[in-house]
Amino acid sequence: MSTAQVALRAEFFSQLSADFKKMPLWVQSTINSVIGMSILLLMWWIGGILIASNPDTEAFADFAPGPALAALWSLIGTEFLNETIISSLERILVGLFWGIVIGVPLGVMMGYFLAVRQIANMPFQFLRMISPLAWMPIAVLAFETWDGAIIFLIVMATVWPIVFGTAHGVQRIDPNWFRVARNLGADGFQMLRRVIMPAIAQDVFAGIRLAVGVAWVVLVPAEYLGVTSGLGYAINDARDTLDYATLAAMVVVIGVIGYLLDAIAVFLIKRYSWHAS
Amino acid sequence: MSNASPIWISDLTHYYNRQQSMPTLDDINLSIPQGQLTALIGRSGCGKSTLLQMVAGLLIPTEGAIRIRAHTVTKPSAKWNMMFQKPSLYPWMTVRENAALGLVFAGTYNQKKDRVEELLDMVGLSEHKDKNVQALSGGQQQRVALARSLATEPEVLLLDEPFSALDAFTRTALQTEVAQICHDQNITMVLVTHDIEEAVAMADQVVIMSHNPGQIVGEKSIPLAYPRDRNSAEFAELKDELFAEFETIDKAKQDKPFERLEVVRPKSTAPSVEKMLQQAS
Repeated sequence: MSTAQVALRAEFFSQLSADFKKMPLWVQSTINSVIGMSILLLMWWIGGILIASNPDTEAFADFAPGPALAALWSLIGTEFLNETIISSLERILVGLFWGIVIGVPLGVMMGYFLAVRQIANMPFQFLRMISPLAWMPIAVLAFETWDGAIIFLIVMATVWPIVFGTAHGVQRIDPNWFRVARNLGADGFQMLRRVIMPAIAQDVFAGIRLAVGVAWVVLVPAEYLGVTSGLGYAINDARDTLDYATLAAMVVVIGVIGYLLDAIAVFLIKRYSWHAS
Repeated sequence: MSNASPIWISDLTHYYNRQQSMPTLDDINLSIPQGQLTALIGRSGCGKSTLLQMVAGLLIPTEGAIRIRAHTVTKPSAKWNMMFQKPSLYPWMTVRENAALGLVFAGTYNQKKDRVEELLDMVGLSEHKDKNVQALSGGQQQRVALARSLATEPEVLLLDEPFSALDAFTRTALQTEVAQICHDQNITMVLVTHDIEEAVAMADQVVIMSHNPGQIVGEKSIPLAYPRDRNSAEFAELKDELFAEFETIDKAKQDKPFERLEVVRPKSTAPSVEKMLQQAS
């Protein structure tokens, strides 16, 4: 390559980058997202080719994007897929519900009382580090139904981020807000509703966002347990019936729903955030 | 009994903890006149803010009592309201929601919506009612806090250095406005400040406090008409007199830093609650 060609090419790229920076921010971020997804698809596609070209693994060739997306297309709208998704979402939501019911009051206590914080911090940090899946044998013993056991695992996954998020929010409350509200005649309930809840909402939702992420990751292996519905079950079932296209399609579904759940949490954080941008 | 003192402070002594050799506040006796602005001035640490918080019911004195009308103050109330150094607005609310909060707590906002609008107009925030309070300047925020304090129609408004964090122009304007509101609306106000000029600009009388122990060492009335001309000779003279008083205190404190100053003041002549109730009826 001649020096002139190199210079020309360098100029082309610097021009391209300058043009890119002139675009509106949302266009830039959309283009970048498309690039990221394209890289992911490309790697999946290359992986599929490698699997198909190796005699040892060619039986798994249906993992490739072509068959998987075709399987996904034929699954969309079917009762099977809808029921699978609904059962998984139900478990997540029930688990999240209990995580919030237990986690928010605990977090408020931890944030408000130094003694509670000191007492609870070590044990909670300890419990937080245990993979929720490690509770599986105990959960199976302790709960009569498989659903109960799975929901228990989800609660164990969701409660800690919610506790710590809430406690963080309560600790950040400006003490003057209490003083002013008392001074204006607020009773305990009004203090909770008008001052504490709105003040900590964004931190609670930030905790819930982390909780949803962990819970969704935990849910799929938890559904390998005895249940006969849900995304984890569907994956296990596809493996047993050697239906690798459906298996890969389920992986895509899990990713998409996880992304949507996260997007909802992000929306709620923004909705209840009061920090001036 | 419109001219009787609405606030009586009798034999008030306060220790933050029992290890203190000197009380934070020592044998305070004071009555505050109705519908006027009284300034408590003193160096930091003289207990003036502590005293004000006690009048607000946010702190309970070790000994002695505070009465507002026929009530002994034991807890905060929207009837004796306090404005703090920081506006402490709620950042998730609009200007209007912040100003209305006392009425929302009292459950009377729906009947008194107009009052909130009028007050926001009065403090010059007509165009900002629907904005988030974080979009306002410091002076505007303190105006919202003022409207919020006035919305509940307090008999007594306590001001804890509410202008000290503002720039000079905003401070001067608000000092003039608040003194005006005090007299126009017949609200009894107590202002805590360490700014002598602020005291002379706003107050009908000034109560001078000294520290270690916190005690009242003098009172002075400021017989100037409102609005006050800060460049007048009388204004300068009153300021000088107050400065001179502080120099006297400082001199006395230099020799004996931890002793009570000899103060010749009449003891409280607070009437009994029964007598006040009789007068009222």
